Amino acid sequence: MEKRSKRILGIVGALAIALAACGGTTGTSGASGSPQGSAAKPDVKVGVVISLTGVGNVYGPTQKNGVELAAQRINDAGGVNGAKMVLVIDDDQSTTDGGVTAFRKQTSQDRVVAILGPTLSNTAVAAHPVAQSAQTPVIAISNTGDGIVGKCTYGKCDYIFRASLGESTAIPATVNIAKTKLNVKSVVLMYAQDDKFSSDGFAIFQKALATAGITVKKEIAFSKTDVDLSAQVTAALAESPDAIIDSSLAGPAILVLKEVNRRKPGMLVIGGNGFNTPAIITSAGAAAEGAVSGAAWYLGNPDPINKEFVAAYKAKYNVDPDQFAAQAYSGLYILLDALKRTPTVTSVLHDKLRDQIELTTGVKTPLGEFSFNASHDVNQKVYVVQIKNGAFTPLN
Amino acid sequence: MDDLQQFLAAYQTTIGFVGLNAMLALSVWLTLYTGQLTLGNAAFAGIAAYSSALLTMKAGFPFPLALASGALLAALVSVPLGATVFRLRGVYLAIATLAFGEVVRVAILAIPLTGRGQGLVGIPPKTEVWHIFASLAVVAIACERLRRSNLGRAAAAIREDEIAAASHGIPVRRFKLAAFVLGALIAGWAGGLAAHFDFAIQPDEFGFARAVQILVFAVVGGIPNVLGPILGALLFTALPAVLQPLQEYRDIFQGAILVLVIVFLPRGLATLLELRRTIRLRRVGAQDVA
Amino acid sequence: MADQIYNAIFIGSIYALFALGFTLVFSVLDILNLAHPALFTLGAFTALFAMQQGMPAAAAVIVAFVVCGIAGVLLDRIAFAPLRRRNAPPLSAMISSIGVSLIVIRLIQLKYGPDLQAYPAGTLPAAVFPIGGLLVDTLRSVIIGLAVVLMLALTYLVRRTQLGRELRALAENPRAARILGIDVERAIAATFFLSAGLGGVAGVLYGFATNSPFSQMGLAFELKAFAVMIVGGMGSIPGAVLGAYLLSFGEIASLAFLPSELRDAFAFGLLFVVLLVRPTGILGQRAVDRV
Repeated sequence: MEKRSKRILGIVGALAIALAACGGTTGTSGASGSPQGSAAKPDVKVGVVISLTGVGNVYGPTQKNGVELAAQRINDAGGVNGAKMVLVIDDDQSTTDGGVTAFRKQTSQDRVVAILGPTLSNTAVAAHPVAQSAQTPVIAISNTGDGIVGKCTYGKCDYIFRASLGESTAIPATVNIAKTKLNVKSVVLMYAQDDKFSSDGFAIFQKALATAGITVKKEIAFSKTDVDLSAQVTAALAESPDAIIDSSLAGPAILVLKEVNRRKPGMLVIGGNGFNTPAIITSAGAAAEGAVSGAAWYLGNPDPINKEFVAAYKAKYNVDPDQFAAQAYSGLYILLDALKRTPTVTSVLHDKLRDQIELTTGVKTPLGEFSFNASHDVNQKVYVVQIKNGAFTPLN
Repeated sequence: MDDLQQFLAAYQTTIGFVGLNAMLALSVWLTLYTGQLTLGNAAFAGIAAYSSALLTMKAGFPFPLALASGALLAALVSVPLGATVFRLRGVYLAIATLAFGEVVRVAILAIPLTGRGQGLVGIPPKTEVWHIFASLAVVAIACERLRRSNLGRAAAAIREDEIAAASHGIPVRRFKLAAFVLGALIAGWAGGLAAHFDFAIQPDEFGFARAVQILVFAVVGGIPNVLGPILGALLFTALPAVLQPLQEYRDIFQGAILVLVIVFLPRGLATLLELRRTIRLRRVGAQDVA
Repeated sequence: MADQIYNAIFIGSIYALFALGFTLVFSVLDILNLAHPALFTLGAFTALFAMQQGMPAAAAVIVAFVVCGIAGVLLDRIAFAPLRRRNAPPLSAMISSIGVSLIVIRLIQLKYGPDLQAYPAGTLPAAVFPIGGLLVDTLRSVIIGLAVVLMLALTYLVRRTQLGRELRALAENPRAARILGIDVERAIAATFFLSAGLGGVAGVLYGFATNSPFSQMGLAFELKAFAVMIVGGMGSIPGAVLGAYLLSFGEIASLAFLPSELRDAFAFGLLFVVLLVRPTGILGQRAVDRV
């Protein structure tokens, strides 16, 4: 019985590993519509690791749309100096080990020139070190937490870049507009304590409010899975602040907005990046009017590059793009710009590509003009937006 | 060979997690073997993960010492818990351990030292895959030895019928508590290894969803012998990687496989290994073949 | 203060509807149906689908009830009945339900995406009117009313009808029930129909109230349901109702004297204490332990 069990275990184990090996080469999403004629130059493989399943999969699908649209347009316009750009898209399952596995696979098996992603900051702090030690440049397209670039918590991170506006830049800008244009002198600060994005944002709000000299009358924590926030909102309103700040993702934000609108319509609600999604407008409806947040992008931006992007996105996907799609799209164009300047794009480029990414300047994207600063972080305009008549409109 | 090396490098994390999950599944198996349904082992793993990580990061503990300290802390916490809940049976015990797990999760979120909702980042990656599998081997062999010994038979008796076992002079309470604490110790060791495997940990990784997940490994694997939970962990940890080509439909297939396995093998995959014996017994009309 | 109470009643009603379905299956079959949150979600999305085709909200609720009820019966046929036939331990049923839950939620995601959805504009009542110092809105008042009606209906069904008698007999002793001539499979199907139907309605109502149904919405309620059942008494229908309102009032009250970070710890700590002191809960009559 013993021996047979061992044998069966061995077979099952080998089978699993063999199957995983076959399953290893995953869905490569190439761009469509480019002539096969220029097969002279080898394809340029770009890795994309995003949350297609798990809690982050609210953002993954639009990011996928963004990069696929960008890749298609890039290849239609001649690719990377004539070479076709091929995307290797993997799902990080919104978990740290999912992200690490995807990054490991892309750096060692697929041998991509660079990786865009992962979706969540949680995953990033575990996955980025993998790329760093493999010397594969990474452009983070949706991580807005602290410690992603520059001074990374895990040590040296000179291969990591960020194209997504960090909350540490966006939130102070938002707070400043609140103070100067909206006359906010006191607030109540609500936040989801069990979610990294929200708790990062909370810390950043605290600092920004202190710097701006705005009084925080109360800090109220809640859980990201709370099904009802009426008690918390009531407690917040009881302090009679000039504004309520909500550092959370869209779900709780909608609850807060609706509750505030029920009890004290007209009370100003300010949020972080979690507010920058059209779902807020569709679900909260009239209650969303007046909500303020700091964004990297907004749909109505009349900049011609943005209008082109919005039109192309709408034509291909039949729906308006959101900020995540815009940042993913921009991320690929930023990478393209660096790749075009890199001498020989044959295989994995390591520091040659990294050096070119560092020199990025004046790239025109739907986010505006883009460059990286000395800490590999994004240099772009912060759009402080307010929801007016069901659309995000700029305040600054 | 180069291909194999590449493959192993790429899937290092998955392979490591197969081992970690197998250990966690074994920790649950231990308690299930004495008839206790616990949902607390993810929390024990979490306690050990955070404490061992903090010890290496802030107190400069050498890795093995930190691991041991974390596991011991988890085991220590489990003693009062096990002693107070052992009276509860079945689903009540499960919910009590679940409540404990939630209290632990909230505590982690409230204590600034743990990084709260932002998680603990920058943990030195000291765990190698061979550490995991060496630990797993030790745990598996020890558990199998226990199972085949008189202690194991007594535990099985407790699982079948506590009152009968007690009347036979088996110290039921002591056995159940021992299984509970040992399970916490193993889960703690696995938790410490996990913390140093992936650079960062979050409170969510040790919550209800995780507890249910390792329960699934153990139950789908089966109780009869230690191979059960190991097989269960292997199947469901490797499955997402295997099903990767299905991308969008992966969860559906995972769910379907879970249902199929449990419906056709309600006592777990391990019963496959006993197939010949089971068929023979079924043929002579045995109703309840364990 | 008055509107805190109003809110507690509202959210307690949702908890109650959700927990009732959960408790029903547990009391009759000893199964922890972990697919219940998925049925809750299915209800909200069935209504969404119906309303997108032009159906008014009220009709959509009924459609959701029926569709989820049927889904519940199917769930039993696929995931639980085969296990019953094989005399499998109850734990297997719980695991099986997890698998079904994965499938259902993923299917919803594939159709609607993982993001927050919204019911078609203008289909839900939005009127708010003050009564004294209290801000009452039509939508939530209707929800509370409907929930109470359903709870009363279920209680009536269990206490006064033939079906109810059969269910109680089945819960007490399945073998005796069979001997007494009760069509066990039919009774079980009815149990699942009711349980899933109620869960689905809870989902629609909660979806209406937040106007942001999303595929993971059931998860938050799962843990609450455990708390409700333990406090009120496992396997007891009035217990589930009592537990639900106790929980919702307790959650709101605890904010008054506890730092907000520890609120959940309070709920689960209390749950733990209840389990130690009186595991059968307040109204639980099932003192029989299940091994």
